[in-house]
Amino acid sequence: MKKKFNLINPQYAPRSWFVLFNTLFFVFLMAAMIIPIFKIFCDSMVNETVYGLKLIPKGFDPNTGKEVWFNTIAYKRIVTDPGLYKPFLISIYTTLMTTFLGLLISTLGAYVLIQKDMPGVKLFSYMLLFTMIFNGGLIPTFLVMKNIGLLDSLWAVMLPMSMNVYNLVLMRSFFEGIPVSLFEAAEIDGCTPMGIFVKIVLPLSKAALASIGLFFAVAAWSEYFHYVIYIKSSSKYNFQYKLRDLFQDKQESDQGTKINVNTLKSAAVIVSIVPFMFIYPFCQKYFMTGVTMGAVKE
Amino acid sequence: MANNNDNFDHVIVKKPSVGQRMFKYRYFYLMFIPVAIVLLIFYYWPMLGIRYAFSTFKLKQITLRTGPDYSIGLGNFTRLLSSDPFHAAFKNTIVLSFVNLVLAMVCSVAIALLINEIQNAWGKKIVQTVLYLPHFLSWVVAASIFMLILSAGTDATGADTSNTGFINAILLQLGILDKPVDFLTESKAWPTVWYIMNRWKETGWGTIIYLAALSSISPDLYEAAEIDGAGRMKQTWYITIPSIMNTILVVFILNLAKIMNVFESVFVFYNSLVYDVSDVIQTYTYRVGIVGNDYGYSTAIGLFKSVVSLILVSSSDIISKKIRGYGIV
Amino acid sequence: MKKNVFKRFAAMSLAVVMVTGLAGCGNGNEADFTLEPGDPDDLPDEISLMADTIITEENGLQDFCDEYERQTGIKLSIEKPDHAKYYEKVTLSFASEEPADIIEMGSTYYPELANSGALWDMTEAWNNTTSNCKNIIDEDYVEALKINGVLYGFPMAAGNGTITYVRDDWMKEAGLSNPKNYDEFLTMLRAFKARGQGTIPLTSSGFLNNGETPYDIYLREFYQDAIPDFYKDEETGKYVDGFAQPEMKEAIQRLRDAYQEGLIDAEIVTNKTSTCRDKLGSGLVGAFNYWAGMWSLKLQRSMNEGQLKAIPPIEETGGYTERVPTAFAMSIYAPNKGAIFEHFLMFSHDGGAGQMLFTHGVEDKHYVMNPDGSATALPYYSDPDNTVEKSIYAPELTITEWNDPIPLDPMVKDSLEEFRKNRVFAKVPIVRDAIAENLADLNVVKDVVMANAVTGKTSVDEAIEYYNTKGSYYANAILEDLNSEENLKAEEEALAAATGGSASDDEAAEE
Repeated sequence: MKKKFNLINPQYAPRSWFVLFNTLFFVFLMAAMIIPIFKIFCDSMVNETVYGLKLIPKGFDPNTGKEVWFNTIAYKRIVTDPGLYKPFLISIYTTLMTTFLGLLISTLGAYVLIQKDMPGVKLFSYMLLFTMIFNGGLIPTFLVMKNIGLLDSLWAVMLPMSMNVYNLVLMRSFFEGIPVSLFEAAEIDGCTPMGIFVKIVLPLSKAALASIGLFFAVAAWSEYFHYVIYIKSSSKYNFQYKLRDLFQDKQESDQGTKINVNTLKSAAVIVSIVPFMFIYPFCQKYFMTGVTMGAVKE
Repeated sequence: MANNNDNFDHVIVKKPSVGQRMFKYRYFYLMFIPVAIVLLIFYYWPMLGIRYAFSTFKLKQITLRTGPDYSIGLGNFTRLLSSDPFHAAFKNTIVLSFVNLVLAMVCSVAIALLINEIQNAWGKKIVQTVLYLPHFLSWVVAASIFMLILSAGTDATGADTSNTGFINAILLQLGILDKPVDFLTESKAWPTVWYIMNRWKETGWGTIIYLAALSSISPDLYEAAEIDGAGRMKQTWYITIPSIMNTILVVFILNLAKIMNVFESVFVFYNSLVYDVSDVIQTYTYRVGIVGNDYGYSTAIGLFKSVVSLILVSSSDIISKKIRGYGIV
Repeated sequence: MKKNVFKRFAAMSLAVVMVTGLAGCGNGNEADFTLEPGDPDDLPDEISLMADTIITEENGLQDFCDEYERQTGIKLSIEKPDHAKYYEKVTLSFASEEPADIIEMGSTYYPELANSGALWDMTEAWNNTTSNCKNIIDEDYVEALKINGVLYGFPMAAGNGTITYVRDDWMKEAGLSNPKNYDEFLTMLRAFKARGQGTIPLTSSGFLNNGETPYDIYLREFYQDAIPDFYKDEETGKYVDGFAQPEMKEAIQRLRDAYQEGLIDAEIVTNKTSTCRDKLGSGLVGAFNYWAGMWSLKLQRSMNEGQLKAIPPIEETGGYTERVPTAFAMSIYAPNKGAIFEHFLMFSHDGGAGQMLFTHGVEDKHYVMNPDGSATALPYYSDPDNTVEKSIYAPELTITEWNDPIPLDPMVKDSLEEFRKNRVFAKVPIVRDAIAENLADLNVVKDVVMANAVTGKTSVDEAIEYYNTKGSYYANAILEDLNSEENLKAEEEALAAATGGSASDDEAAEE
């Protein structure tokens, strides 16, 4: 029902005031989120060391000897670095693979966990939760990887990440929201459990798949620590790692005559968050109300 | 399920035996196999390493390959429990993490609800995207930003430093403060700004799961309530919140399992003037680990943390069952 | 409820059973190694190396290995882990029973690994070698790596140290020359302060070098004769806690006075090293104590304006401290140790082709020879804007006297000369179990004490009180162990064996 925006008319007023405040609130909130990031953006656009809250992307470029707006020298350097091409592809591969595997394992696991009558279902639950609490530590985990021969392999990164109990339990709580009547109806129709899974559970869980899929994707893309510990060959590093390696964490690295090292670092930060600005709108449509409902009239 | 009051006493229904049920669910066992395999290999096999907690496993034992020395029994734990700094670290871990968790839930749920109220589709997309951007910055970057804007802006003599102390300047202008406060080095103020930094960075990201949950609420419910004359507030209270309560609880308990692990956000933000309120178990372990390298001791600390997490999760599970009738298992 | 507990217990037992049923990872194999150096001419087929501060793979590390093989006939495989987790990787390499033959070690990790028995004792090999290296090396660097007279690793390059840089242009404007003593030093800082506009006369990151020895390396002018660490009193022959001495109290008082006068960065407690560099770069800082050598150039380049100059140490400090060099150590599991010593370590410092390879890299890939006999560095593969600084050993920090065809940048040279005029070699930190258990906690107390006393949150006396109550537990535990019969005797014996057994020259730095 379309509501009219009217601050005076008592029928529409409360709602209208609320919308006004809500809007102002979010404008303020967005500003608070974006201003620091904008500062980093500005830092990356001036070819000099910045200390302080400078919010203008204009600075003195020692190379040209002039004040320059939007000095993109650092970005050019990063984007044209050949050492980043392969890692970028590797990141795409591992992100897709981990997201797929992760969703596969968490949906299957969650589907099993909602079978209340199944003998051992509680055992499985505890088995999963136990791993969230108890952990072997760095050296044993490393030795296990070594023993199964996965050292220096991308699978050492992708497999453990795909088994994420947090996501699995969240998925389960979404599945629990599916009315039992749907399952019963399908069973009566002679559907196998796998069939129910594919034809009923998955289609009704678009929001869950999108959000948890996003969790996996972001985790896989941003992953850094696993690469440090398990990967040796530089041909297998991912984008995030290489970006940090080349531009962010190196203190003893080549300090350019042309590009200020702090500018490079700031530019690297911005480059690493740009992909995420475009991913979310993509997942957006799955979060629309009412997409999942309406299958069975209670 | 409707409660059946019909009298069916004369009908004897045989409850299926365990074996029969297992057969019924055979496909499910198959489905669980990949999960189980990954679990066992990557999580349970390394868990064998927990036994090191009861040993001395220093660099010497590692490099000379003599293996861990189990003669100390519970020695690591006595050392842990008698260490003063560890007590402080433990207390801080619980306090900081728990308050942070509660704040996280409240803020993320509230913001998710408010986002849900945005009519404009484009506005909604933009707000969500902007709000979740800080999550992708590293803690190092986030801390450097906050440290920049939180400084006092004056030195010991009272002269202005070059760092304008953004927040201090605002608060002074508004008259909330009468002289600048160095938030980062005041034990009373540090936790508050730490919470704020955490909220700034993680709230947007935290709303995602609730927005997903909100989208699964049937609009029929709202329509029915509308017809019954309920205003938006009532609808939120009686429909929205109960519908996502399940998600809220699950997220809460799952995060409770992780509160002992807080590290990076503290590590990049704390300093020697606020150790008493900011030092947490992981930062303590980190420092002890740099000098000393006793893997047995750090495993013991890990085991201690795990046991505490287990207690927290179990308790909240039990409480949840008592109140809502169901818990996380 | 009961069913719950039972189920949980069953889950855990099942997990344990499954887990022990799986092949457990073995630990405690009998290590097979020999400590004999073997025949130096029995070349190994391959040497494995793990290093941190060397040229990267995309900039031609493989070329380096190929050239090494070409010159010596030995295959070289190098692993360069991520810098942030380098020492975790070293530990993991030992834990997984595949350590590299040669491992680079910084001064913090070197004594720990040596103490654990993992490193080969190369004292004899060094004493007996006839390579050219022995003729051209500065023995001080080798001595600096000896632990109780035993050499566990060979220096890669000078350990370097920190030096105080000041804004030359500001000095000139104020009409000041290099301060010779503490009073003049303060005068200089006051002149910087008088510039106003938020100028920071002196900046630093914390008071105790983030818990890495030497602790006082960045604030030497204030510490002067105070030593915030444990040291052996020459007269009594026993160890003392330097932090509890009256000199330390005076040092804290000096720092406090300077801070209260606004001469030290107000944010010193919250500063990270990168913050200090940022402040310097944006033109706010008057004096900054930082690494000599290449960093003089890097700091200068990061500055938007102004000129940096290194100043000689003031008389009260007794000189700048030269850190323990980073070492190449050999694991006891390496085969053909004598051969590796001669054909890798001695080769790399031979003053000729080997040294050139290890310092500047491969000809025509990392540098070109000019007709007049000098050489010029080539640009990096991955960063054409900059030229290659080094392959393995930093040229400006060389430990041997050799004719380096590539000349050093004058600014680098100056800062190093200034640094070396009055330098004092630091000792390898002592590693003992008691120290390992207590030092971290003790350092926290020191940190808290200094931060509170200097920033004025407590008085100096209160802070010292705090140290004596909270810190004494740890300090005493350490002192008891250091001064125990067993330790002092062991140190004496080791020292006697080393000095008595080898003909060491007068230059050998004793105390």
